[in-house]
Amino acid sequence: MAKPKIKPEIGTEKVVSASPQWNVVVLNDPVNFQGYVIVVFVNVLGISHTQAEKFMLKVHSEGRATVWTGERERAEMIVLELQQWHLSAKLEKNG
Amino acid sequence: MAELRLTMTAEARNVLTDLLRLIAPAAARVSVNRAQIPDTDKEVASFWTESLSAQAGEEARLLAAAFANAKGEPAVIILKNEAQSLAFLRALSAVRFALRELVFSDIPDDQLERAEDLDDENLPNEKRHALACYSCFGLLQQSLISQIDSEAFD
Repeated sequence: MAKPKIKPEIGTEKVVSASPQWNVVVLNDPVNFQGYVIVVFVNVLGISHTQAEKFMLKVHSEGRATVWTGERERAEMIVLELQQWHLSAKLEKNG
Repeated sequence: MAELRLTMTAEARNVLTDLLRLIAPAAARVSVNRAQIPDTDKEVASFWTESLSAQAGEEARLLAAAFANAKGEPAVIILKNEAQSLAFLRALSAVRFALRELVFSDIPDDQLERAEDLDDENLPNEKRHALACYSCFGLLQQSLISQIDSEAFD
């Protein structure tokens, strides 16, 4: 007797990242110069001068900017480093 | 990055050195108080606080040594490499924040952004003096930024 063919189940599964994402948010402050903030972004985030300037202008004009998004542990380290540079930075859960 | 230099008059150097002696001990507390430290994990929060305090201590020592070594007329602070220049830049930001929090926290943000316009004779002498020093530290910072910028980005 022939074994019945087992039809494989084919389905789709939505792949979702296991860990929630966190935002590194920088707030405007009245003490640090715009040029200083650019130097900090370049050094801490490892981004280009142009991108750093865009972030700085967003912080200046809107009062805040999300400069990095990712896993909590790395986000915490970036916030700490930005605070060590005396920027007003904080961690926010994404979504 | 080549050696960077910050030049000031001997009188400015003396005034800023005196102010640094007063403000430096409080700078660490200001740095920790300003920071938004995540409070969900005690171990992380403790590490965070210790890191900020240690950094503030290093910055105070760096500034004190740099100003003490800047002798003569004009007084010149020499920063030998990129790491020193960036550390000094960061330390100047710390002392400006300490002044802001400890001496003129009552001045609104938008007025402080135009600190050079704030030399109002109605202000108490102590506050006027602190504001003048705040602006001087800012000038040193801007001089350093322009030197770092021209080398790094042009």
